[in-house]
Amino acid sequence: MKRILMILGNVMIVTIILVLVLVYVNAEQKRILASQTESFENMTIAMENVTTNYLVGEQQVCNTWANYINANSLTAEQAIGFVRDSITSPEIMAHILVAGDSEVSGLSTTARPQSPDDYSVSYENVSLYSHGFDGLLSEEAMVNVTRTFTNPVNARQSIAFCNSITLRDSKTDAPVSAVLLRIVPVSSFEKKWAFPTDQYNDAEISLIDTAGDYIIKGYSFKNSNFFEFFQSYNSPSSSVMESLRKEIAGNPGVVEINDSTGRKNLVAHARIDSTDDWIILSMIPMDELGHIQTNWELVGIVSAGLLVILAFNLLIILSFNRRLKAAVAAADKANQAKTEFLSTMSHDIRTPMNAITGLTAIAGKNLEDTAAVKENLRKINLASNHLLTLINDILDISKVESGKLNLSPVTFSIVECAENLVNISQPMVKEKNIDFNFRISRFEHEYLYADQLRLNQIYINILSNAIKYTEPGGQVNVEMREEAGSSEKTIRLTYIVSDTGMGMSPEFMARMYQPFSRQTDSRVNTIQGTGLGLAITKQMIELMNGSIDCQSELGKGTTFTVILELPVAEKQLEEMRLPQMRVLLADDDPVTLETAGDTLRSLGAEVDTATSGAEAVGKVTVEHDYRVVILDWKMPDMDGLEVARRIRAEVGDDVPILLISAYDWSDMEEITEKAGVNGFISKPLFRSTLFAKLNEILGNESTRSDQEDDADIAGARILVAEDNDINWEIISMLLQMHGVETERAENGKLAVERIERSEEGEFNLVFMDIQMPVMNGIEATKRIRSLDKPWQSRIPIIAMTADAFSENIAECLAAGMNGHIAKPVDMKLVIKEIKRIKEERQ
Amino acid sequence: MSRKGPAFALIVLFVMLSLCLVACSKKGASNTKESAKGFVPRLDTNTSCSVSVAGHYSNFEALEAEFNRFEQYYPNVRMTYVYMDGYSKSGSKILSTALAGSEAPDIFFTYPYMYDWVDGKEIASASENLADPALGIDLSCIRSALLRKEQNGSILSVPVYTTTYGMMVNEEIFEKEKLSVPRTYSELISVCEALKKAGYENPIMGYSRGSDLLYPLFYPYFCAQIMGDQKALDDLNGMKPGAGEYMRDAMKLTADFMSQGFINLEECAKLANNYEAVILRFFEGDVPMMLASGNTVSGTEKREAKSEAFTAHPFKYSFHPVPSTDQGGYFINSISVGFGVNKNSKNLDMANEFMRFLVSTGELNLMAKAKRMVTPCVEMSLDSVYAPFQNLDDKRFINQSDLGLEDRPASQVSKAGLQVALGNMTVDEAVAAFGSIQ
Repeated sequence: MKRILMILGNVMIVTIILVLVLVYVNAEQKRILASQTESFENMTIAMENVTTNYLVGEQQVCNTWANYINANSLTAEQAIGFVRDSITSPEIMAHILVAGDSEVSGLSTTARPQSPDDYSVSYENVSLYSHGFDGLLSEEAMVNVTRTFTNPVNARQSIAFCNSITLRDSKTDAPVSAVLLRIVPVSSFEKKWAFPTDQYNDAEISLIDTAGDYIIKGYSFKNSNFFEFFQSYNSPSSSVMESLRKEIAGNPGVVEINDSTGRKNLVAHARIDSTDDWIILSMIPMDELGHIQTNWELVGIVSAGLLVILAFNLLIILSFNRRLKAAVAAADKANQAKTEFLSTMSHDIRTPMNAITGLTAIAGKNLEDTAAVKENLRKINLASNHLLTLINDILDISKVESGKLNLSPVTFSIVECAENLVNISQPMVKEKNIDFNFRISRFEHEYLYADQLRLNQIYINILSNAIKYTEPGGQVNVEMREEAGSSEKTIRLTYIVSDTGMGMSPEFMARMYQPFSRQTDSRVNTIQGTGLGLAITKQMIELMNGSIDCQSELGKGTTFTVILELPVAEKQLEEMRLPQMRVLLADDDPVTLETAGDTLRSLGAEVDTATSGAEAVGKVTVEHDYRVVILDWKMPDMDGLEVARRIRAEVGDDVPILLISAYDWSDMEEITEKAGVNGFISKPLFRSTLFAKLNEILGNESTRSDQEDDADIAGARILVAEDNDINWEIISMLLQMHGVETERAENGKLAVERIERSEEGEFNLVFMDIQMPVMNGIEATKRIRSLDKPWQSRIPIIAMTADAFSENIAECLAAGMNGHIAKPVDMKLVIKEIKRIKEERQ
Repeated sequence: MSRKGPAFALIVLFVMLSLCLVACSKKGASNTKESAKGFVPRLDTNTSCSVSVAGHYSNFEALEAEFNRFEQYYPNVRMTYVYMDGYSKSGSKILSTALAGSEAPDIFFTYPYMYDWVDGKEIASASENLADPALGIDLSCIRSALLRKEQNGSILSVPVYTTTYGMMVNEEIFEKEKLSVPRTYSELISVCEALKKAGYENPIMGYSRGSDLLYPLFYPYFCAQIMGDQKALDDLNGMKPGAGEYMRDAMKLTADFMSQGFINLEECAKLANNYEAVILRFFEGDVPMMLASGNTVSGTEKREAKSEAFTAHPFKYSFHPVPSTDQGGYFINSISVGFGVNKNSKNLDMANEFMRFLVSTGELNLMAKAKRMVTPCVEMSLDSVYAPFQNLDDKRFINQSDLGLEDRPASQVSKAGLQVALGNMTVDEAVAAFGSIQ
């Protein structure tokens, strides 16, 4: 309906414009027409003057003849002879007529063509004289001229100028009344009496008497009478006819009439003053007048242009509508997905919350049973962590959606990152008995400069998904390798995680990066997840200008490949060189043998390899100069523990034995110690890890000194603006554990007042809750920032709030805060923030 | 709304606007060509010239309409009609004078009796042979009896109008008086009586100044009597002294009808002419029957608007045969006007081309209808006002040309009838005076 209205609206606008154009053209046409009508009328009046002059001139000639005849008392023969001699043009003829009893007859200056000697003339058949001479001779008129008649002598259509004369009877000398006619053929008259053709090509003129009878008839004037002509082709009412008669007989003017072809014409009329009742009529087709100036081409072009614009606009609007419709559909779909997500989230949040509240209640009733309380607290911690993951994901997706997901690059160790990945995945790997392999190639650059947290998040997300969606007994392989980057200052870090899990359908793969998407599978429902991980991961990868690729087959497994180009940090490990030594490396995996062997060689060691436990035992037995033996725990013929036992049995305890494992060995330490293993080294075997472990086991001093020390935050004084007692208690206790002194302000106003009273250096930092009674954290921050004393107004303020969305963070920073920590607080983050502030202050 | 909606709206808009533009650009194409379907110009259609037609009609609108149609084919030809004073008068010599002059008409009116005028030979000698096959004029569409062939087989004139005689009937009066239009002579008498009784002073009228007063009553009757009687025709055409006997019955009929007292001669004498005056008098609305010829009927339509009485109170009227016998009346058909072509015309080719265009069933019927005249075509298409004539039996159709009666005896019969009707002569006197009646 709206579309119809829109189209109709457009059509109406175009129509109105066209109508306006036409109205304008019409008005212009009318103006021009009026102007031309006036001009045409004036021309007709001018023609009347020309006609009058002509008629008067002809009449004067006739009068001169009559005067001479009358003055000289001529007989008819003498008079006609005189006139004949006076005529100079062969076109002109004169008749002298005498009215008899029954007919009018007389003499002609010219003989009939068939009878050259016969100069007699009879007007018996000419209706001109049906009313006698009186009708011809008017004393009032300047000109006495007849209507068109057929000259009985030559049958030419003619007019005649008349005057009365008195003749002398040749026999009795008695005076005889007669009429002298100076006869002019109409064709001759018409030649002298034409419109200026250059201006009015199609104009025609007629002369009529007041009765409408034509005296001279123009070509397009039809019938024998002008009024009859009008009546024939215009179907007028009697009143119209009457008014036309009056109009024509009156002052000069114009009337519109249709001619015999139906064409509309303009007829200008003017009375001939010199005659009794003659009227000059000039007629011209109306379109001839209107056509002169009207630029119909322009009107056509404007109309066509408007039509094109209309069509174009309609097409554009229709296109927009289609896109809007698609956008609405997409929005609806997204909304629906969000609704479904919220429903899922509600379920997902309630599940750990149920565990937390339930286990808390159970623990409260079994306070005496320390083991049970411990177990309950462990489970509560697990549920809390899951809940926190959920909330963090929501926060992240909020950032993703608002486009405010920013990177905070720091220098970090990719080794730690990998170790962290292994450590994090260990519990689930163990729990599900998954064959987990983590391979790395040789890493030249351990320290990179990137957003470590986000990188971890990416890798963990992909790895945890692989483990989560791989059924017990399955396999998960991780490969991480360093390749040359596009410049010397960057490396290309490739991270490949493949599993033998449930895989994904092509349909799901098409939308797996969309927020709130989770694979619909009966097995998935038992797996915890928010449906946000992949969306966040992809956004983060793209933010880092990296790429993610996925190959998956339903029921067979999935492989994710993430490629990132990351800057190399300026800080690198100092030159790592081992003393000259031989190392035996035993692993059934040739890749590990190759990569680990290369790493050891790069550290300066001489490496001997064995692909099985038996080979390793054999080599140790034969060769006695190995300074270290590194054994893989899981080997097919003989595991690492058994190999260690045999080596100890063969060569004693001199050679340190290290066991390689991708698994958590903490609960195996007793067994391994008995087997003679001196230490563990976890996969992947990073260069730095190997260097540090070998130095440690050989008793060399470690050169690494990059461990962070939290002790430097001790002694800091922090004002905590927090209205909630429990939250205050938690934060104050946690900070106290790190040697930080805290003071509480129950609301923003008290915090402002406390800062206002503070001495320089009394507080290092303010943790500011946002939603507080009396005065909120935003307002309080603004007040503090407006204090006079610089040490007060510039004091670092960190938001510590449950308002964790991006717009909340932006609002905090806009109010003048220096950072933001979301509740529940991660103490590592708190300490990091305190250190950062401290460093900035220094 | 379906997806086709906007497209449909666009199409409708374009069509509407296109139609508007077409309507603006062209104002009505020619619709007159249809009537001349089949006419194919033989000359260069860009030919520029003037062709004049001369005649005695002061007004010839029907011909001017033909000019317009012809000019559709020849837009640069200017066709004009010229009225000439004294054209139809036998002694005026106006046509022969015109044909010999510098402004000779290209086409001119002809009458069957024209070639008997004093200048008839001059007219004939200046006339084109319209039967010349080279001209391509289709004379087959004309009733053959109407075509006058010269001794050499040439045809100098093509009839364009024919006429007949009858009476104009005011149907409203008959309806009002619950009378039927009379179909027999006795019905005519009884109807006139009824009308007289109903208060109509003039149940029947006619022009009495010329020779036409009861002409429509007795002349067809006379023609029917001599039809096929070769001796009678020979005697009459020979103007033999005793030939007056052949018109006795017609004169008796005249005298008999006049004796009924239905015609008021004083009222009839007020009619100034046998055309407009007769028509306007009839349009006054109080004359149930008006004797007239087809020529008079031809002027009725034009005069309807001229008559104030008729405009104020229009009525339905028709033209009927005058029932001169108890078997009914007659439809006597004679040439009214023909067209001849000036063979010395400066634009002879175009004049002949116009004749070729005009002489067709379509154009002649159209022109006859436009002027309410009877067409000369084989395929007759009469105006509705002539409808009663179409109901006549074929046997009561008399073609004047078939009759073979010459102008002089015909004129004597006409004059005799008038004199008897006016009471200036008795039947016997009229019969005896045949050949010398003035």
